[in-house]
Amino acid sequence: MADHAVTLDNVVAHYGRTQVLHGLNLSVGEGELVSLLGASGCGKTTTLRLLAGFIQPTSGAITVAGRDITDLPPHKRDAGIVFQNYALFPHLTVADNVGFGLKQRRVPVAEREARVKAMLARVGLADYADRLPAALSGGQRQRVALARALVIDPPLLMFDEPLSNLDAKLRIDMRVEIRELQRANRRTAIYVTHDQEEAFSISDRVAIMHAGRIVQLDTPEVLYTRPVNAFVARFVGFDNLLPMTVIARDGDAVTVETVGGTLLTLSLGMTGPLPDRFLVGARPEGLEIVSAGPETIPGKTHTRSYLGRAYQYKVDTALGVLTANAPLAHDHGQDSAVGLRLNFEHCCILPYEEN
Amino acid sequence: MPTGKAAGTRCSGSNLSHSPSIIRRLSVIGPWVLVLPASLALLLLLVLPVAGTLMESFGNPKGIWENYRLFFSSSYNRAVLIRSFWIALQATAVSLVAGFFGAYMIANSRPGLKRVLLIVSVFPLLTGVVVRSFSWMAILGRNGIVNTALIQLGLIDQPLSLLFTQGAVIVGLAYLFTPLMILSLVGVLETIEDDLYLAAESLGASPFGVFRQVTLPLAVPGMIVGSVLVFTGSLATFVTPRLLGGEPQMTLATLLYQKAMISFDWEAANTIAAIMMAVTILCVFLMGWLVRRATSARVAQ
Amino acid sequence: MNRRKLHPLMQLAGWLVMLFLIGPVVIVLGTSVSDTTYLAFPPKGLTLRWFENVFAQDSFLSTFAISMQVAAGGTLLALVLGLAAAYALARYRTTIPAWYGSVFFLPFFIPEIVFGFSLLKTLIVLFELPVMPSLILGHAILCLPYMVRVIGASLASFDFSIKEAAVSLGMHPVRAFWTIVLPNIRSGMIAGVVLAFITSLNDMAVALFLTGPGISTLPIEVFTYVEQFFDPTVSAVSVLLMAVTTIVMILIERSLGLSKTIK
Repeated sequence: MADHAVTLDNVVAHYGRTQVLHGLNLSVGEGELVSLLGASGCGKTTTLRLLAGFIQPTSGAITVAGRDITDLPPHKRDAGIVFQNYALFPHLTVADNVGFGLKQRRVPVAEREARVKAMLARVGLADYADRLPAALSGGQRQRVALARALVIDPPLLMFDEPLSNLDAKLRIDMRVEIRELQRANRRTAIYVTHDQEEAFSISDRVAIMHAGRIVQLDTPEVLYTRPVNAFVARFVGFDNLLPMTVIARDGDAVTVETVGGTLLTLSLGMTGPLPDRFLVGARPEGLEIVSAGPETIPGKTHTRSYLGRAYQYKVDTALGVLTANAPLAHDHGQDSAVGLRLNFEHCCILPYEEN
Repeated sequence: MPTGKAAGTRCSGSNLSHSPSIIRRLSVIGPWVLVLPASLALLLLLVLPVAGTLMESFGNPKGIWENYRLFFSSSYNRAVLIRSFWIALQATAVSLVAGFFGAYMIANSRPGLKRVLLIVSVFPLLTGVVVRSFSWMAILGRNGIVNTALIQLGLIDQPLSLLFTQGAVIVGLAYLFTPLMILSLVGVLETIEDDLYLAAESLGASPFGVFRQVTLPLAVPGMIVGSVLVFTGSLATFVTPRLLGGEPQMTLATLLYQKAMISFDWEAANTIAAIMMAVTILCVFLMGWLVRRATSARVAQ
Repeated sequence: MNRRKLHPLMQLAGWLVMLFLIGPVVIVLGTSVSDTTYLAFPPKGLTLRWFENVFAQDSFLSTFAISMQVAAGGTLLALVLGLAAAYALARYRTTIPAWYGSVFFLPFFIPEIVFGFSLLKTLIVLFELPVMPSLILGHAILCLPYMVRVIGASLASFDFSIKEAAVSLGMHPVRAFWTIVLPNIRSGMIAGVVLAFITSLNDMAVALFLTGPGISTLPIEVFTYVEQFFDPTVSAVSVLLMAVTTIVMILIERSLGLSKTIK
């Protein structure tokens, strides 16, 4: 534990009577950026507020840099937080906003001014020191918020959906900038977002949260290719979940039956034993549309949408409506009988669960 | 143009054949026709009568400023003027402090309690000035609660004369206007985003530091508006100084009434009215300027 | 989430302010039932004779009737003028400049006592108007800003495309105003009427100058009574007036919520 910059140990939290965190465990390494990713209400923001000290856990412990801060009030925690709406003080200039934390720490005026100046230069706002926040653009405000959080040298940086108020283009630029600043300063950081692409692009590791628990905590690469269950799989784009039952095994090749009686022979090259019942998670490009025949799931196309690089079809099958992509060269039309073939480059194996 | 469309619909369904230009002209005049009655009423019943009073204050045949010279040459009048300002200023200060504490508590109460407290603060505002001033007569009178309590505690033998003092008028006025101050401040305090407090705390500000560096400066516009409302209101209130201050605590408002309705010295009454108008307008402009200075930079963009 | 925990001293100060605001009301209540000829609090004995005394005084009853008539007339006039103006201001923003709306708040910026004195010279002296219509006109002006403001706030949240939809479906615009717009701003109109009524009922400044011997309003009558006699009858009148106010406040709270009305 000692080498972790931040740990949450079996943290339980309630809002009133509603339990919002169910024994959360999380360890973040020195200089690491971990994202908390999930839909609203999953507990990601609660986790951040616990770390900041804005709310108190019902039970469990929080340590930062080896120090137990569970009972510390927010103003003694040295947390650098970038808020969703920036939370810049409207009555203070950019320089005073950035210097606010230093002033609370009674840093001498000369040093404070020097550090603020250096930090503003760092985020490219050297010429804006005397402006008020209202006179800045969204991206500039974001930079001020970032500078304000960084200048106090916090052992832990926290981001609460910092980019959600920016337009798409700026969001991508700022994301790179945040990552660079965090890396350059070797800051440990927790980043809350509901945007999967944002989380994957910026993080060392991503914690996918659901209903007050961390479902999976891994690097983006692992999450993207090897989700641990159906929830994560759906989250990272395995739109089709196909239940399979093993009926015969022959070395590497396994014969499975899926709903509707279709028999498929899978050659997985799996390490470890395959359970008798499991789910195959398939991305739309993992279902190839071919003519109906053996080793395919029969179905009927009904809605076609144009995606630019491919057509996407909704296909009615015995397993329900599946989503499949097909190259533009193959126009399968609508209401035509087709077969779906699994392409295991874009599939994953998941433990069986009911829908 | 909404009206144009509306009028168009109407015409197509009837035999009338207005030319489009008339419809277009109607759509421009129409809205003005709706605001005309109210505007006219204000002009005839408020603007012109008050303007008349102002004009008449300069109407002394001996010269434009003669009425003012007469007014200011009396040491009694000068004392009344200074006393009025002084009383209004103190009442404003009391209201500002009381209003801030009240508003701060209301703004930070849970919804149910907030509603009750708002009703408690606003209730006095909806009862008449006479009732509200009278209640302080009951408190400060010879047999009032204050004297009764002091005698029972053995602190005094004879009841104190608390009524007809400057303090009584100030308390009465502060009681009158504190609800207004609370309303101006609650609105401002409630619009301060919670994240600003959290940001200040996370950056290391102590609870008092947050109050001093975030809450107070952001409440300034509400404090300015509230103070001007209380100050101009205190200056213009007649009943409270009359009932709680009486003859010894004559103010501009009570003097105006006396000149107009008892001694029928309308020249003097006009002059006092004009002075009150001037002070009020000055305060309102000052308020506008201060509030703009305090907020414009913040909201501008 | 917008709540701060208060320091105990701030909490105490807040409650003291609340006591300051509600205490006098409680004291008036207490003195009105005291069986003494002077104002005693806490009350000594318990009696309703001061309330009986209120109803025994013809002057209170007759001036109350006049006050009600003036308030009804003034409120109605202010409603008609204010509704038309507020509607035009909200609906035709392209035609009527925004600053024009602030013209209707002029009465807020003129000391009431100056207004009352000026009305005396204009209506009573110059035009020799009787007291009653003068009072109604004066009170209509006092009430106008409340009407424009409260009805305006209601209209600001009204989606005019609803009315346009009705007109596009073939409804006459004037009919659409009555059947579509008015029902949707009803709560604002009720609040405006209530505020105006209370303003008129409580007015001293205008009535002080316009009333004369023979015709007076209740606040003036009470004021005169206080100056002459200092007995619990006034407490009883005050309590009755507060009761009226309370009922009225409950009505507003029911129809749209107090906090919304006042801000």
